[in-house]
Amino acid sequence: MVVGVVLIPLLVAAACALPIGRFARVLAVFSGLLTAVSVAAAVWLGVGGGPVDLYYWAAPLGAQLAVGWDGWSAAMLLLSGVLFAAGAAASGAVARPRAYFALWSLLQMAVAGVFVSRDLLLFFASHEALLVPLALLLWGWGGADRRAVSCRLAVMWLTGSALLFTGILALGVGAHTFSFAALTGYRLAESSQVVLALLFLAAFAMRLPLFPFHAWLARAYIAAPAPMAVVLAGIISKTAVYAIARVCLPLFPRGMADLQPYLLALATVGALYGAILATRQRDTRMVIAYASLAELDLIAVGVFLATPGGLAGALIASVSHGLVVAILVLLATALARRIGSFGFGPGGLGARAPVLMALFVLAIVGLIGVPGTSGAPGQLAILAAAFAVSPGIGLLASLVPIVLAACGAFVLRAVFFGPAATRGHDVGWRERGLIVALVALALVVGVVPRSVSDLADRTAAALTELRR
Amino acid sequence: MNAAEVFAIVPALILAGGAAVATILAIPRRIGPRILAWVGALAAVAVAGSALANGTGGASPSVARDGASVFFVALIGIVTAVSCVLAAADPRRIARSKDEPALALLSACGAVVVVLAVDLVVLFVGLALLTIPLYVLTSRTAPAGDEGAVRHFLLGTTGFAVALYGIALLYAATGETGYLGLGRATHNPLYLAGLGLTLAGLVSHVATAPGHRWSVVTNVAISGALLRLVAVTSTGEVGLDWQVSLASLAAVALALPGIASIAERRVRRIIGYATIAQLGFVAAATASGALPAAAFALAVYAAQALGLFAVIAILPQREPVLDDLAGLARRRPIVVLALGLLAVGLVGVPPTVGFLAKVYVLEAAVRADLLWLVVVAAGATVASAVGYGRLVLACFAAPRLDAIAPARMRVGTAVAVVIAIAVLAAGFVPGPLLDAAQAVHF
Repeated sequence: MVVGVVLIPLLVAAACALPIGRFARVLAVFSGLLTAVSVAAAVWLGVGGGPVDLYYWAAPLGAQLAVGWDGWSAAMLLLSGVLFAAGAAASGAVARPRAYFALWSLLQMAVAGVFVSRDLLLFFASHEALLVPLALLLWGWGGADRRAVSCRLAVMWLTGSALLFTGILALGVGAHTFSFAALTGYRLAESSQVVLALLFLAAFAMRLPLFPFHAWLARAYIAAPAPMAVVLAGIISKTAVYAIARVCLPLFPRGMADLQPYLLALATVGALYGAILATRQRDTRMVIAYASLAELDLIAVGVFLATPGGLAGALIASVSHGLVVAILVLLATALARRIGSFGFGPGGLGARAPVLMALFVLAIVGLIGVPGTSGAPGQLAILAAAFAVSPGIGLLASLVPIVLAACGAFVLRAVFFGPAATRGHDVGWRERGLIVALVALALVVGVVPRSVSDLADRTAAALTELRR
Repeated sequence: MNAAEVFAIVPALILAGGAAVATILAIPRRIGPRILAWVGALAAVAVAGSALANGTGGASPSVARDGASVFFVALIGIVTAVSCVLAAADPRRIARSKDEPALALLSACGAVVVVLAVDLVVLFVGLALLTIPLYVLTSRTAPAGDEGAVRHFLLGTTGFAVALYGIALLYAATGETGYLGLGRATHNPLYLAGLGLTLAGLVSHVATAPGHRWSVVTNVAISGALLRLVAVTSTGEVGLDWQVSLASLAAVALALPGIASIAERRVRRIIGYATIAQLGFVAAATASGALPAAAFALAVYAAQALGLFAVIAILPQREPVLDDLAGLARRRPIVVLALGLLAVGLVGVPPTVGFLAKVYVLEAAVRADLLWLVVVAAGATVASAVGYGRLVLACFAAPRLDAIAPARMRVGTAVAVVIAIAVLAAGFVPGPLLDAAQAVHF
């Protein structure tokens, strides 16, 4: 089962070598859905997730093909399946479909690899391999300044990876193992924990992005076509959240505790900074980019707190943000199709496109975390955990949803209200089907947060247990 | 000369015989350079086979017959065979001279002697046999007025002189020319100067070799000889001297090419830088005392370098620049795909075998307390990604109107594709290559 989530996309990528033309898209959607459904079924039945030690990949190097999943990875795999299916469904008329969907499936495979690796070298391999299809997709199918953007993204991420690689080698060689299971029992000298934690965090902060490392973010969101933006914001950023929670926290408990004040400060500042910048944008993609930065850094606050509440909140908020940002990106694309640009347009679209407006309102409400929507349980848990640790951080962090709410209200007013627009039409059934399905999922997470938080509690408890 | 020695030099004899046959066959007018190159490939395959069949055991004072000789001779055989196939397929008329196969086989014969040598005199003879045919080859294929061949010759002979001086000093210090005697030497200034000069003389042949396909054989041979020399002589206090000098060498070889390739426009130069960076990994592994890792990295280097030379052979220009690659993605998509995979392997991005080579070498470096070297190598990776990325991305630019169409070269494309697939497949299943590298011992 665990191997399946990696093999399914690989098979699809291989199938793209055959002359299957546009059928590739159907296969890609199918592989995403199959991943999501099979992981859900496995979690439901409680089977198939156990750690599997396949065999030595390269024995003299100590690299093992060890895979497995816990609650957190299962939730992320589910999300990844849904988002990759949605993204594939949204890539309607791409040029060169076979190349596109082959790269797309390889990207899905690498992302799944990050979540199921139970060996540091395998984890690094997936984490790094992810960049190749991502950069190629951006390079080949992106928007206006796609070439500059993909180069900048690649160089920044490679720099982070180089530091991570140094850290992994230093840790693994010292511990004589790269396997997660063996490493959690290994106690590192306290003096080296901070250095190693910083080396690891360099890569993850770049990818999240944590506050001062977000130089690639806005331009990448603009250059990325809608499906790419969905997975970039929705799931690839979550690999960093997952990595901090699943790798940094258990391996360097003392180091992360020593760094906690600085990391919390960066994440809080980043969240506020993103939220404030989002209110200043006049381009829906930029609004989404900076709102995403705010949300992701808020999630990072939850992870850096490293309390059960904070971690559980971070997981639920990760799932919620993945779904909501996907909806927002798809809506922004639908909106741009009506207005003709990614700007806010002349306004008054609400009269002509009520369904679009309703969906937009739902998505923004979900983003800012109004109770009853998917954003609420996660954000509340993070804020509560923040207040428990430091009222100052809690206070600053709780400003983030407020600023985002103002931003959302502003966008809604500019686009949908005002004198009724003369042109533009409502969303068609094809667009509606995909977005409504995602909205329904987001609402399920909001109304029954237990569906995710059960997974979260187990993992969070286990992770905090490891820190003792 | 006893039977063991004769058995040990069978591969060199096969190559020398192949060279003789190729020379004789070159006389009839009807036999073209293409057939001669295939003869060369056949001889080289026979060498690889004989190395594998030869086995180990049987000590002798001048040539070794151990795990390392099997590995390196087999590698030289395979590399020579692939280079001969590429030469046979080379579409540029100027590169197709009828002497080329014979000279290349002689050079490969020198390469085999160099990696087998356990005596300084044998090493020197092998070095001469390895490089002198290549000087002839470069000057034969160079157009009139090209100073590159002269430069290569002058720099190469300087390297010779330096190596010879080093060998003389080593003899003065120890009174012996065998490697075993060198291993017993103490911390003696004369001895250290001799080792240093020998190292410089050997390495200079790597640095001065121009970027053409025969340079791969040279680099493999010199690296193999160096590994053997280091393995034998790095005892006691001298071990630390070796570590420091080789680690510095590795740091320079890793860092400079990455930076230099960022601004370079000539394709051959970029590939040359890429190969030097790969050899930097070999030097890093040697400095860390990890011989299997060095052998593994060397094999990976050889595969990737040959793949790159196969790719650029389809360019009609003599000295192609990045702009000449424009439009290649449209005209030869498969070649560009192979080039992309090779570039990914050079940067060391998983799941290619380049990644495993990087991990293998740098793990050894961490173990040898050379963490600074790991940092340099990791940083150089980023710089090199930019350099090699430009190579691949240049293929996607719109072609110039007056561009000369790339040659149609089925064999070369096939070689490039096979190597690219191997680089990818060995990343998933590195077992056989790792086992072979593990068997390297001196």
